[in-house]
Amino acid sequence: MKYNWNWGIFFEISPDGVHTYLGSLMFGMVWTLATALSAWIIALAVGSVIGVLRTAPNPWLARFANGYVELFRNIPLLVQMFLWYFVLPEVVPSSIGTWLKQLPNASFYTTVFCLGLYTAARVAEQLRAGILSLRSGQRMAGLAMGLTLPQTYRYVLLPMAYRIILPPLTSEFLNIIKNSAVALTIGLMELTAAARSMQEFSFQVFEAFTGATIIYIVINIIVVNGMRILEKRLSVPGYISLGKPAAAH
Amino acid sequence: MIEIDNVSKWYLDFQVLKGCSTNVAKGEVVIVCGPSGSGKSTLIKCVNGLEPFQKGNITVDGISVGDVKTNLPKLRARVGMVFQHFELFPHMSVLQNLTIGQIKVLGRDEEESRVRAFKLLDRVGLHEFADKFPGNLSGGQQQRVAIARALAMDPIAMLFDEPTSALDPEMINEVLDVMVALAKDGMTMMVVTHEMGFARSVANRVIFMDRGEIVEDAKKDDFFGKPRSERAQLFLSKILHH
Amino acid sequence: MFSDFDWDVILRSLPYLFFDGMRFTLMLTALATAGGIVIGTLLALMRLSSFAPFSIVAGGYVNLMRSMPLVLVIFWIYFLVPYIGQWVTGASRPIQVGALVTCLVTFTIFEAAYFCEIMRAGIQSIPRGQTEAAKAIGMTYWQTMGDVILPQAFRNMIPVLLTQTIVLFQDTSLVYVISVTDFLGAASKIAQRDGRLVEMYLFAAVVYFIVSLGASIMVRRLQRRVAIVR
Repeated sequence: MKYNWNWGIFFEISPDGVHTYLGSLMFGMVWTLATALSAWIIALAVGSVIGVLRTAPNPWLARFANGYVELFRNIPLLVQMFLWYFVLPEVVPSSIGTWLKQLPNASFYTTVFCLGLYTAARVAEQLRAGILSLRSGQRMAGLAMGLTLPQTYRYVLLPMAYRIILPPLTSEFLNIIKNSAVALTIGLMELTAAARSMQEFSFQVFEAFTGATIIYIVINIIVVNGMRILEKRLSVPGYISLGKPAAAH
Repeated sequence: MIEIDNVSKWYLDFQVLKGCSTNVAKGEVVIVCGPSGSGKSTLIKCVNGLEPFQKGNITVDGISVGDVKTNLPKLRARVGMVFQHFELFPHMSVLQNLTIGQIKVLGRDEEESRVRAFKLLDRVGLHEFADKFPGNLSGGQQQRVAIARALAMDPIAMLFDEPTSALDPEMINEVLDVMVALAKDGMTMMVVTHEMGFARSVANRVIFMDRGEIVEDAKKDDFFGKPRSERAQLFLSKILHH
Repeated sequence: MFSDFDWDVILRSLPYLFFDGMRFTLMLTALATAGGIVIGTLLALMRLSSFAPFSIVAGGYVNLMRSMPLVLVIFWIYFLVPYIGQWVTGASRPIQVGALVTCLVTFTIFEAAYFCEIMRAGIQSIPRGQTEAAKAIGMTYWQTMGDVILPQAFRNMIPVLLTQTIVLFQDTSLVYVISVTDFLGAASKIAQRDGRLVEMYLFAAVVYFIVSLGASIMVRRLQRRVAIVR
């Protein structure tokens, strides 16, 4: 295999004239983390509401929540990204559309919303499974004590459900980090995009991708271990959580 | 105290309760027994509205359970319930299990509810377990905590849904002892159970259910003396032979 | 707004979208699923092996693939395969490789990591007694796995494997990043050429939605049937 390795490339100045290539990869990492964390907040909030509605007694609300999950799970993330970025500004009233198009950092906001709402469907699915895995007697015990249904969710069902789904939530969080790479298609300079641009300017393909890969692995290890600590701190005697992180991505 | 009038309930087109009528007076202990699937657990869960019913009427202390205008949480707060599988909240300590309802439903402050909780833990003999979690307790201990949890709300009546049937045999008596003491204190109790020894010692009346119907509703001595229905006789002969 | 929609552009491009684009997407999905399941099953056997080097290598591979974004893997393979081709064929410079081969290699090795985890769960769900019973009648390791354990594990996992295939079907849209003409790529090319982004992307979304939802409804039905039989 004839390839001219040059690991020193990381310390050479990148085309922006100020930072090294290593620096530009680090900027990419920061964008990746900022995008993933912001989207995760949306995913947790929206996903929790949708997940709870799916187990609620009102059939219309449950149907709405099911529809949400089906809609966001059955369209590829990349297509959703295009819908938010290219299509939405065209189909809303033109004043709003223009505002959307002129928004600074539009690709960042688009990605945060798109990834957040996309991942919310998956969080909702996990949360529903977590709630349904609790014995129905737990709900009854909460109600029998005089707690209202929302209170029963707040104090009895959700604290246990979240603990139970912590491992699958961990893999969803890892997914949101990985999925943020899709945003390079709409011009977000996240980690994969930074590696791609380093490759284009320096022609050192494999150094660039190796750098990005190592950063992803390190992030992965940190998140997994962090969640393991959290899991231990939240563990409840006599209960184990639902298996290891799930397969899908 | 509890009036059950002609209550019927269907799951889709399967009728689980067929025109059930009975009542529990203040201070009375009423046992509900019958083969599995007879509807006895469903009936007792109708009393505090955990199971909806389609026909008939149930009132607790004069308040109609089935009425849409009734504030069910408020009513349930006044009726204690003990479940077959204890249903303690596993993520809360024993003490928190006893205080959560007092704080969130009755609006008591933390200190007051702690005092009340410890008084009841004393009563069921589990004072030193206050900071343990349910997962660290035996089944019998969990059920005693569950009874204390229900009592912490100062209920006007207590419902027991097969409180000993999920327990290992050696733990049944510690729970029954607590229930006997409660009955002797004059608590109004409706108890779904197969523990006929318990029924003999504290019950005022015994109700026998089969296939969703109340077949027998008799004074304790009449029931154990000579049940009128064949089905009840058969059931008793099976259960007393163990 | 919708009034100046040009629905005709969709109609005009249907043959291109489906005969070029969708055909590529479906072929990639089918081949990568087949390859991914085969390699994934071998990886699963390695991961469960008591021979430490096997389980360490397989575990490392799976974890590596699962920590990387698919987009990055696509780039890796896109640039790596020509060099590997050069090395294998002994050519003097990196060789040109077709889009289908690049995509196929990428998705097979990437999805193999996920199929591995599914098959591992499937194998572990078979009671230990089955292995012991097979060994007791004198079966070798490969006979035990091939005739007793894997057929059961595979059957139990069919719904999960199919669900993963639907995920793969959606994931193939990412070949957009190396300008391959899959279904989305075809839609995107028309969209750029005719300036009809709204129509083409909406149409693409609808098609993906119908195919994925239809497939997942069928998987759910199958799951119910399998669940009753067992």
